[in-house]
Amino acid sequence: MPNNLHDVPVTAQAGGGGIAAPRPFWLAAIVIALGCVCLYAAFGLPQGARYAGIGPGLFVTVAGAGLVVLGLILMVQIARGERFQAQDAEDASGSEKSDWPAFFTALAAALVPVLTMQAIGLPITAMLSFTLVARSFGSRKTLMDLVYGAIVGVVAWVLFTRLGLQLGGFLPIAGF
Amino acid sequence: MQTFSLLMDGFGVALQPMNLFYALLGSILGTAIGILPGIGPALTIALLLPVTITVAPTSAFIMFAGVLYGAMYGGSTTSILINTPGEAGSMMTALEGNKMARSGRGAAALATAAIGSFVAGTIATILLTFAAPAVAEIAFYFRPADYFALTVLAFTSMAVVMGTSRVRGFIALFIGLALGTIGIDEMSGQPRLTFGVSALLDGMELTVVLVSLFAVGEILYVASRYRSNSDALIPIKGQAWMTKEDWKRSWKPWLRGTALGFPMGALPAGGSEIPTMLSYTLERKLSKHPEEFGHGAIEGVAGPEAANNAAAAGILIPLLTLGLPTSATAAVLLAAFQNYGLQPGPFLFTSNPQLVWGLIASLYVGNVMLLVLNLPLAGIWVKLLAIPRPQLYAGILVFATIGIWGVSGSVVDLLCMVVIGLAGYVMRVYDFPIAPVLIGLILGPMAEVQLRTALAAGQGNPAVLVSTPLSAILLTIAMLFLLVPILLKRLKASA
Repeated sequence: MPNNLHDVPVTAQAGGGGIAAPRPFWLAAIVIALGCVCLYAAFGLPQGARYAGIGPGLFVTVAGAGLVVLGLILMVQIARGERFQAQDAEDASGSEKSDWPAFFTALAAALVPVLTMQAIGLPITAMLSFTLVARSFGSRKTLMDLVYGAIVGVVAWVLFTRLGLQLGGFLPIAGF
Repeated sequence: MQTFSLLMDGFGVALQPMNLFYALLGSILGTAIGILPGIGPALTIALLLPVTITVAPTSAFIMFAGVLYGAMYGGSTTSILINTPGEAGSMMTALEGNKMARSGRGAAALATAAIGSFVAGTIATILLTFAAPAVAEIAFYFRPADYFALTVLAFTSMAVVMGTSRVRGFIALFIGLALGTIGIDEMSGQPRLTFGVSALLDGMELTVVLVSLFAVGEILYVASRYRSNSDALIPIKGQAWMTKEDWKRSWKPWLRGTALGFPMGALPAGGSEIPTMLSYTLERKLSKHPEEFGHGAIEGVAGPEAANNAAAAGILIPLLTLGLPTSATAAVLLAAFQNYGLQPGPFLFTSNPQLVWGLIASLYVGNVMLLVLNLPLAGIWVKLLAIPRPQLYAGILVFATIGIWGVSGSVVDLLCMVVIGLAGYVMRVYDFPIAPVLIGLILGPMAEVQLRTALAAGQGNPAVLVSTPLSAILLTIAMLFLLVPILLKRLKASA
C-alpha cells in the first residue's frame, strides 16, 4: 500500500542522503477523504437548534472541515518535499527497510479474530493469532507456538470468564 | 488542617488489606510493563479496564495508580542495564545511565534512579495532596464557557507540543474529534456517523481505539522493521550502591527534576517526555562536570528520573480536579472513571472523598512499595527480558484481542481493531503523534457538551464563550499556542 510513489523524482536532496524521498500524496488524500465522509454525514444532521444556536451537526461539520483543510495543507507540504522520519520503537528502527511478508503475517494475525472469534471461540482464535505473530517476528517453531498460543488462550479464557468477562463460549461451533 | 484529616481518612482506606493487595499488584504489573517493550502504562490500564468490572472503584484506581507509578520505575532499569528505554519518559535516562553501567557503575545508576523516583514521587504526592483540593475549590466556580475554553487550550497545546509537525499533530487531534462524534448525540438523541451500523450507536470506545493504536499498530510496525536487540545485559553483581559523592551529586537534580516534572505533568503537554528532556538539559547546563555528560554523569540520571515520576503525579491534578486528561495514560484513566459512572472534577472530592483520598494516600504507599520492589530486586526484574520477542509480541496481540472482545463482544469492534491498528501503523511510519487522537476522542464530546450548554445559556450568542475572564484568557493562550510558532518562523525567515 504505501511507498508506491517512488517514481516521483525529487530534485532537492536533503541531508546528503541522495535517495529520492517518496511523496506520499495518498496520505493527504486519506485525510481529505475522512473529512469528506464527516461532511457528508453532517449534511444529514441539523446544524442549528432552537436555543443553543448549534445542533448535533455542527461539531461533525467542524471536524470534517478541519480534516479537509489539514489534508490540503499536508498535500502542499508533501508537494514541497516534506520528509517523514519513521518513529523509533524499542525493537524497531525507523531507518530499517520494511519487511512486507512479516507485516502481512502480523496483519493476518489481527484479522483472524474477526473471522473466527464468534464461530470457534477465543482459545482457538488466540492459538492462531499467537502463532501468526510469532511467525512474523521470525519464530519458526510453529508447533511449539501453536501449543503456547493454545495455553495462553485457554488460561486467559478460563481466568477472565471467572472474573466476570463475557468472552463467549469455549468452542461455540461445537456447542460449548 | 482539613486536608490533613481527609488524608488520614485516605490512609484508612489505602491501608485496608484488600487495597494494599491491589496497590502491590499494580506496582508489580507497572514495574513489569515498564521493563517489557511493546506495552506501556496506557495500554496496560486499558487492558485491565474490562477486568475491573467486578472490582470496587477505589481498589481499581489504587491498582491503576500503581501501574502508572510502577512503569516510571521499571522503565529506568532497562534504560540503564541494556540501553532500551521501556517508556518514553526514560529515554533521557538511557543516555547517561547506560554509560554509567558500562563503566561499572550500574548499581549506582539504578540506585539514584530508584531513590530519585521515590523522593520525587513522594514530594510530588505531597504537592498533589495540598494542590488538588485547592484547584478543585476554584473549579467549583467554572462555568461551561470556562470548561470549553480549557478543552480548546488542551487541544491546541497537545497538537502543537506532541510530535514533530503541527499539521500532523492537528490531523491526529481532528481524527480523534471525528471519532468522538460517532454514536448517539448526547443532547439531541440523534445518531451521528453511524452509517446504519447499530454497533456504532454506542460510540467509539476509547479502549478499542487505544488498544488498536498502541498494541496492534505497534505490533504491525515492529514486525515490519524488527531488529533483534543484541545488546547484552550489563551485570551489576557485587557493585556498591551510591557513594557519598553520588549522594552529593544526586540530591539537587532530584529536587530540580521534581520542580520541573510536577507542574509540567499538570499542564496539557503530553505527560513525562518534555519535563525529562528539560531536566536533562538543565542538569547538563548546571553541572560542574559538563564534560562527563555523554560519558555517564549521574546528574543526567537523577534529574530526568525524578522529573518523570513527578510528572506522573502532576497529571493527576487536572484529571482529578477538572476531568482534564493531559496524556494518553490520563485519557484512559478518565475512561475508567466514566466506566464506573463517575465524572472526575470538583464534585468528585465531595461526592467520593473515600475514592479520591484513598487514591492519593495509596500513592504514598505505592512509592514505598516500588522503592522496595525495585532497588534490591532490579536483577530479578530484568530477567523478564529473557522472554523471546516473537512470543512476547504474540502474547500482547492475544491480550489486546481479549481486551477489545471483552468490552462488548462485538465483531465490529474487532474489525475496528484491524482498521485502527493499520492507521496506527501508518501514523508510526509517517510520524504522526498518537496521544492527540485519544485526547480528541475523549475530550471532544466533553468540549461539545460544554459548548452547547454555554451557547444555550447565552441564547446562541457566541460572545458568551469569552464572557468570563478565565475563558477569555484560556482561549487567548490557546490562540497563542497556534500563532506564536508561525510568527517566530516568519520573524526568523525575515531576519
